[in-house]
Amino acid sequence: MKIRPLAWITFLALLRNRVIVLFFAVFVCVVLLMMTPLLTFKSMANDNPAQGQGMILSLIEGIMSIVSGFGSLLAAWSAADSVASEMKTGTIMAVMARPVRRWEFLLGKYCGVLMLMVLYVVFMFAVSNLLAFIGGERLVTNPWVLLVYPMVRYSIYAALAIWLVTVMHPILAFVIVMIGGVLASMVSPSSSGAAFLSEGIRKVLFYVLPSMDLLSETNFLALTSANLQPTPWTHHLTALVYGVDQAIVCLLLAAWAFRRRSLTRE
Amino acid sequence: MTSAIEFASVTKVYKRVFSEERVEALTDVSFSVAPGEVCGFLGPNGAGKTTSIGLLMGFLFPNSGQVRVLDFPPGDTRAKAQIGFLPENFAFYRFLTGPKLLALHLALSGRSVPSPEKLIGGLLAQVNLAGYEALRIARYSRGMVQRLGIAQALIGDPQLLVFDEPTSGLDPAGRKEVLDLIHALKHAGKTVFLSSHILPEVEQICDRVIIINRGRLVRAGRLDEILHAGVRVEIVVDQLSEEAERAAVEHGGEVDRAFAHGIRLLVDNSRKRELIEVLWAAGCDVVRVNPLKDTLEEVFLNLVGGAR
Repeated sequence: MKIRPLAWITFLALLRNRVIVLFFAVFVCVVLLMMTPLLTFKSMANDNPAQGQGMILSLIEGIMSIVSGFGSLLAAWSAADSVASEMKTGTIMAVMARPVRRWEFLLGKYCGVLMLMVLYVVFMFAVSNLLAFIGGERLVTNPWVLLVYPMVRYSIYAALAIWLVTVMHPILAFVIVMIGGVLASMVSPSSSGAAFLSEGIRKVLFYVLPSMDLLSETNFLALTSANLQPTPWTHHLTALVYGVDQAIVCLLLAAWAFRRRSLTRE
Repeated sequence: MTSAIEFASVTKVYKRVFSEERVEALTDVSFSVAPGEVCGFLGPNGAGKTTSIGLLMGFLFPNSGQVRVLDFPPGDTRAKAQIGFLPENFAFYRFLTGPKLLALHLALSGRSVPSPEKLIGGLLAQVNLAGYEALRIARYSRGMVQRLGIAQALIGDPQLLVFDEPTSGLDPAGRKEVLDLIHALKHAGKTVFLSSHILPEVEQICDRVIIINRGRLVRAGRLDEILHAGVRVEIVVDQLSEEAERAAVEHGGEVDRAFAHGIRLLVDNSRKRELIEVLWAAGCDVVRVNPLKDTLEEVFLNLVGGAR
């Protein structure tokens, strides 16, 4: 199986990618910047526990939204860059001269990106728990929700970016993925955004674009004092299958578009 | 298998998206390379060599015509499993070391060997990279990268080797090693398809030559046919009387008195014996008899020089 060495080399290359290192640096900076208000809220919680806990919950949710957003950017950029950089540097020539099918190459790249995102999600999980701990609270949720839901979300972003980068410049692909992500959240029924679009267009976009609200792990997150609504397993299954399905469709489209793509140094 | 490589009326046109601009990189190109041959693929810059190699490797698709490699369509994994490819300006994962890059390519080649470390060590020694196992490729010199590229092309024990400028970036000693390696591959029965600008090297090692220019095939054939080897002969004598010169001219000889090491006579191979007998009869001492041939450089410049 050629996918494993391709995934591994992609993962190693991504860990050394300067833009991705910068992503991680910004991630760490954001978390560190949030420490001050978190510690302030913690001291307030001593005087008024209910109000303090609420503020800590809001802050952690805010941080997680930012970190999660970073993850989406990271997934899209890594996926687009992992294919585009091979074309740009010409390493694809030596790789594709091997008995590797084009879809195997893309799947290897995709798996490499997912390996990076697993690392990110584990890091994100550790950070969110650390922040809750520093805030004197405890996250109440199933840990797998905090790991699996973001992974499924990122797998969609990565697959979408890989599909687009097979037919266009990586920066354009990245921008389109980001616009698509924003648009998807704006056209969801719970959002009041994108009012400038007609109801019909909103509906079409809602069904075509992946619904990230449905795949948000914050739906299942609470702190000690809050009530966590029990969620039936069928709900998880539906949401995750929906997400995986979106990723698979994008990946199949990528494989189809890459099938006849000219492989030349760009 | 009748041909290792076969191009049949291949045309490749590059078109820009949203533009009428079109560049015809190859026009109706046909040639074949037999198994076990070392074939030089020549042409000036922009002649269509890289496009042809791209088509051969399945990186590009022809607009018309057909390409077959080892009896399979280009890009077929069964063909690629038997091909070792060295691209021009071989690019690599710079953060890897040589052995790790070779291990990656071994894994991708699908070749199963009992001791990969031994194979990799042997290949590194073969291309004179032993002792640099811990060095990252980012710190390699251009010549070292080229040697590593040759090692990665050999790692799958291929039947067909496609080398695009294999001696590029190498010093004279390195070039000689590569030429020796190609000789060894030829003796091992491998087919080598070699694109190079260094014509004396091609002349040394190739059985067959294909010359393209501006996307069109201008000459293909065995090297000795192309160089007219054996068609003319050079006869050098120490002295030549006027009477002997007249007799030599009558027997088809062309006299060159400006030659530095005696007097040179040029004659068709079919009349060499006749002329030598005339010279001996005239009392001339024949110092040397050499078959004459054109150099590949002369042939190449004659074919493509005027068209550039």
